[in-house]
Amino acid sequence: MYKALDLFDIDQRLIYIRNIFIFLLALLIVGLVYFQLVKADEYVELASGNRLRMVRILPPRGNIYDASGVPLAVNVRTFDIKGYPMDLRREEDFANVSSLFVRHGIPMTPDSLKANVEKQYVAPYRAVSVATNLTLAQVSDLVMDSDFSQVLFPSPVWRRIYPGGALVAHVIGYVGEITRDELEDQRDLYYQAGDIIGKNGIEAMYEEDLRGMVGDQVVEVDSRGRRLRDINYNDPQKGGDIRLTLDLAAQREAARIMGDRRGAMVAMDVNDGSVLVFLSSPTFDPNPLTWGISQKEWNSLLEDKDRPMMNRVIGGAYPPGSTFKVVTASAILMEKIANTRSTVFCPGNFQLGPQTFRCWRRSGHGTESLLGAIRDSCDVYFYQMGVKVGIDRLTKWGQALGVGERTGIDLPGELRGVRAGREWKRSATKTKESWYQGDTVNYSIGQGFLLMTPMQLARVFAVFANKGNLVTPKLNANKKPELKKVGISRENIDIIGRGLREVVTRGSGRAANNYGVEIAGKTGTAQNPHGDDHALFVGYAPASNPRYVTAVIVEGGGSGASTAGPLVARMLAYLLEHN
Amino acid sequence: MTFEPPYSWGEIRRGIDRVMLIAILCLFALGLVSIFSAGVGVMSANATNALKQALWGLFGIAVYVIILRIGYQNFVRVAFWIYGVAIILLIVLLLTGSASRGAVSWFRVGSVGFQPSELGKVALILSMSRFCSRYPPDTLKRLIASLILSGASIVLILLQPDLGSSLVYCAIIFAILTVAGAPVKYLGGIVLAGVFTMPFLWRSLKEYQKLRLKVFLDPYIDPQGAGYNVIQSRIAVGSGGLWGKGFLHGTQGRLHFLPEPHTDFIFSVYAEEFGFIGAVIVIVLFSILFWRILRAAFRTKDIRAKLLCVGIVAWTWFQVMESVAMSMGLAPITGLPLPLFSYGGSSLLMTMIGLALAQSVAVSSVRGKMTMVVYR
Repeated sequence: MYKALDLFDIDQRLIYIRNIFIFLLALLIVGLVYFQLVKADEYVELASGNRLRMVRILPPRGNIYDASGVPLAVNVRTFDIKGYPMDLRREEDFANVSSLFVRHGIPMTPDSLKANVEKQYVAPYRAVSVATNLTLAQVSDLVMDSDFSQVLFPSPVWRRIYPGGALVAHVIGYVGEITRDELEDQRDLYYQAGDIIGKNGIEAMYEEDLRGMVGDQVVEVDSRGRRLRDINYNDPQKGGDIRLTLDLAAQREAARIMGDRRGAMVAMDVNDGSVLVFLSSPTFDPNPLTWGISQKEWNSLLEDKDRPMMNRVIGGAYPPGSTFKVVTASAILMEKIANTRSTVFCPGNFQLGPQTFRCWRRSGHGTESLLGAIRDSCDVYFYQMGVKVGIDRLTKWGQALGVGERTGIDLPGELRGVRAGREWKRSATKTKESWYQGDTVNYSIGQGFLLMTPMQLARVFAVFANKGNLVTPKLNANKKPELKKVGISRENIDIIGRGLREVVTRGSGRAANNYGVEIAGKTGTAQNPHGDDHALFVGYAPASNPRYVTAVIVEGGGSGASTAGPLVARMLAYLLEHN
Repeated sequence: MTFEPPYSWGEIRRGIDRVMLIAILCLFALGLVSIFSAGVGVMSANATNALKQALWGLFGIAVYVIILRIGYQNFVRVAFWIYGVAIILLIVLLLTGSASRGAVSWFRVGSVGFQPSELGKVALILSMSRFCSRYPPDTLKRLIASLILSGASIVLILLQPDLGSSLVYCAIIFAILTVAGAPVKYLGGIVLAGVFTMPFLWRSLKEYQKLRLKVFLDPYIDPQGAGYNVIQSRIAVGSGGLWGKGFLHGTQGRLHFLPEPHTDFIFSVYAEEFGFIGAVIVIVLFSILFWRILRAAFRTKDIRAKLLCVGIVAWTWFQVMESVAMSMGLAPITGLPLPLFSYGGSSLLMTMIGLALAQSVAVSSVRGKMTMVVYR
């Protein structure tokens, strides 16, 4: 509590603090005297001059090479014509400059020029590009013109080209001018309008490694905008190169094997996850996208009914069909629902209450054990055992094998697919439907709600090829391999592996035999609500000491055995022969 | 404590400090002129900012009058409630707010932004005035209690991180503690403690904030980046000369040599166009305003009101010092608005609320002895 005397004390302190406040404000006036009166002339000179000009010099991006050093993305030198907004202020400037370009065969109107300058505008003393992608011949022609303005200057720039073109478009991606949204979302304030940024694929994934460091140049100019001297120059630094695990020769072979079929093919080293072949068909040429295409061309690419821009390997989610039976088989064995001696009689169909589920072979397979069921792809065996395992344990092993999980490949835009299950169905259906046993029946042969990407399938089969490890696929050769134990016993892996080998030697995948390599794999035919069934085959070789796994899906390809099997066999034969 | 009955129009007319009011209106008008000038660019003229600010000003005047009617006593009475709301808003902001330039300091509702740290300033002043008048910080125990009360908001502001606002909070707390009678040795101790926590604070700063402080020491370490702003602002102020270049004739702001000319660097825009004379007028207007508020503080017998006035002066004074010194490159860039001048609705509104509370202290003199509060 204050005593009466304190009031006096408080007022004393009020006076002190008031005097301090006012004294410090007076000091501000001293500062103003110094800057506005004593040094005024100097600053007036600096301001009226506005003599500083800045140019941002974009560095060449790092190159991208394939596994054997073949360039997949490199830079070529072209020229931009630059100018400063403060020197291009008046309407007649725009008219003069654009007519100069038109005289030399470069289309431009005063309005398009003005719009272009305004789009890139940051500050009046920061250079903007007036014309881009000119050749040396065009530039020397322009510079020789007596009207070539004092305020314009040519500036060499690096442009990206992709020698691999359409063949590797889905892996490499492409670069393009940064968009307004990307500018606003950037975290490190590195970019400015007009900059080039990786839009997709490796170009986007490794943007920060590839982009290098921008340089800048500060020059002093005279009152007419002519360069007087350099004030400051920071060299741009080239971005880091990236070497991929992708093998361009094998990729070319893959494209030859796929022909004009729609679908995807991916091949991976089973031990370290190195992706050698990554093909999504049909594909597109990334070069025009990098150099700028019209809205119309862009739209036609996007609206093409074959969807060439879609990356089917990681962005296409398909029902895995019978290839999923290896997951069901793992669950059967690990949950000890059956052993190799347990059998099921297949009469050609399976009754669940009032519902009938057919085996693909109407006449039935007779008595089948697990090995035979894999070999013959007997649906009834897996229906019956799948119901015994139950959906919860099926999804548990699905999760362990990476079903419905991103594989973690170093590319943007990967889909997860759908692992489904009780929880999923409740939240995915509007009526909060619960999971029925009939759903489990379909699920156990890879139909129904399941959706997987070809990359996920290759990864699942790699587990059986490398004896128990889930690998993370990778494209960057310098990335460390990542392996994770799945938790399936060695004994059970060998049982399923034996079944997969028999598929090719005596079972449903015989079409993949006789290519000179020892293949183990599984066929699959996925129901396609939009048309013919999708054909799938996933296999690895050599079966005795597996090195590569290959997954193929042919959209609308019909039977997996006859369509997809031989494609995988040819790819594996090529890989083993050339590596 | 009971509620103070509202002030009638007659009481307000008799008690209002007209000099204070005129100074506020003059400063706001000069600010509007500068915001308009900053909006006139090379490529386009843009008056929307000035127009928006004028509307916020009208709103601010309405709020000013309402607060005069209610009377500062009733605000002090609910001070802790207001402080609690401000603290909650600051916490919610940390959890959900939208980031701008690395710092989370805004709520966005449509196109209108709101900074809880601005509300926090008023809330802090009100609650510190109430707390320190009830428990004068003359013993260590009470001093620490008041530091804990006020420190909560500073911690939340530093977490955003908003270095500039937290310095304003420090200035407010220090001024109120000083006047409320904290022993000089303790005040010295607080200053020392502040100096010793500097290195820890430095480590918690974001890169762009460190850069701003470094370029304050030497603008030429980054002449194209952060240091560029310091140099260009100094050029703007310096080239104004004695009389200035005249309204709409400044080039530094309009050619975008200055970043954010309508907010952070509004004084540079103003000083370029109206020169030394204009700049001194603004500083004198602010001095008159502060003088009159502290005059009201002398005249009242209510200790709460004295502390309230000191807090409000400390707040606005610190921002004036920082903003003007920054424009000459004499203080680091913190992004604090110049009170009544800088573009920004929530900042203007809160400044008006603060100044209205101070005016209310002046008005309360008409009830004179009746409201004298003597603690015993």
